[in-house]
Amino acid sequence: MIFPKATISEIIGLLEVVNDSGGIEDAARLAADFDLELDEILPSIDGAELLGFVKVTDGNIELTADAQKLLDTGIRERKKIIRDKVGGVEIIKELKNKLIESSGHKMKKEDTLKYLQNRIATTDIESYFRIIINWTRHAGLIGYNSDSEEICLMSRE
Amino acid sequence: MLAEIKNVSKTYESDGNKISVLDNINFTVEDNDFICIVGPSGCGKSTLLRIIVGLEKPTSGEVLFKGELIAPDNPKVAMVFQNFALFPWLTVKENIELVLESKKHGEEAEKVACKYIKAVGLDGFERVYPRELSGGMKQRVGFARALAVEPVLLCMDEPFSSLDALTSQNLKDELLMLWADASMPPDAVIMVTHNVEEAVYMANRIIILSHRPGKIVADLKIELERPRNRKDPEFYRWVDKVYSLIV
Repeated sequence: MIFPKATISEIIGLLEVVNDSGGIEDAARLAADFDLELDEILPSIDGAELLGFVKVTDGNIELTADAQKLLDTGIRERKKIIRDKVGGVEIIKELKNKLIESSGHKMKKEDTLKYLQNRIATTDIESYFRIIINWTRHAGLIGYNSDSEEICLMSRE
Repeated sequence: MLAEIKNVSKTYESDGNKISVLDNINFTVEDNDFICIVGPSGCGKSTLLRIIVGLEKPTSGEVLFKGELIAPDNPKVAMVFQNFALFPWLTVKENIELVLESKKHGEEAEKVACKYIKAVGLDGFERVYPRELSGGMKQRVGFARALAVEPVLLCMDEPFSSLDALTSQNLKDELLMLWADASMPPDAVIMVTHNVEEAVYMANRIIILSHRPGKIVADLKIELERPRNRKDPEFYRWVDKVYSLIV
């Protein structure tokens, strides 16, 4: 599988600029507007699509009702929507289940990297790890302790 | 009136040569002002901001905050930096608690830090070190740290210019949400930027500086409704207007 290398902030930023264009925008025009290569903007588009915030057809990016809902709310409420969306991403669901089953609801980074490596075809699994943790921390689902080098389930408020 | 910038000039000396950076700057900052200072690079806009917060002294003139001379340790003025200026050996929460140290202790400091961590959407990142954060999250720490001192005046020096275009868009919108929230500090913002579009997007007042030495060329009220839309023709008329005054 492929996982989009875009942070949650970039994805929400993308939704905001598409919203300015009336909720639908051509990917190439968007890239040109922001002086970005298509390659630079594609991960954010893929990420937004994976989270169900946009539909992409023939190079046109269109906001979904969920994206509109996200944009219409404040920072606190956005977190809840992100939590639901990120929690629904297959690889994150799997990782969460592994943590639920593991002792202390923790997993070594090394083991996590091995696990991800089997799922994502890449030579740079470390950067995917960082992105996935960016998503799961935003969502309040999975955290990472860089001192103990372990990922762990985050407690729900 | 919140602050008054009175006849501020700044001259640097290098090898016996005098370089004038700012020339007789005068303006006042009122409650609810969101001022963007724009101008060509080298026009002294960052220097002006540093003088306003008291980090630098003007060669002549003065800055008054609520009628008194500004001091660098004024707890009612906070600053957000372009390069985030976080302590790498401290976690997100510790970076924020540090600025509260002199005023609040223990549980109280923790409570305030948590309030602003949540306000900027950093919950879940409390125990994370800056090296693990993306640029966008680092600047959120910068915002939370500045807001945690509950400043009356928030000064920001190019806060979005180290971020990629999309992240910067996201942070601008979130900052405007915080600004629109009357229960949140500050009462006024001064932001320095070289990006005209960004200034028109954020500000309700734009102060345009000339080439060095920086002089005020214009002080414009931006009468655009919020939320603003960059694709709106009216938005572009304002952008054009500001450009025409700079060039």
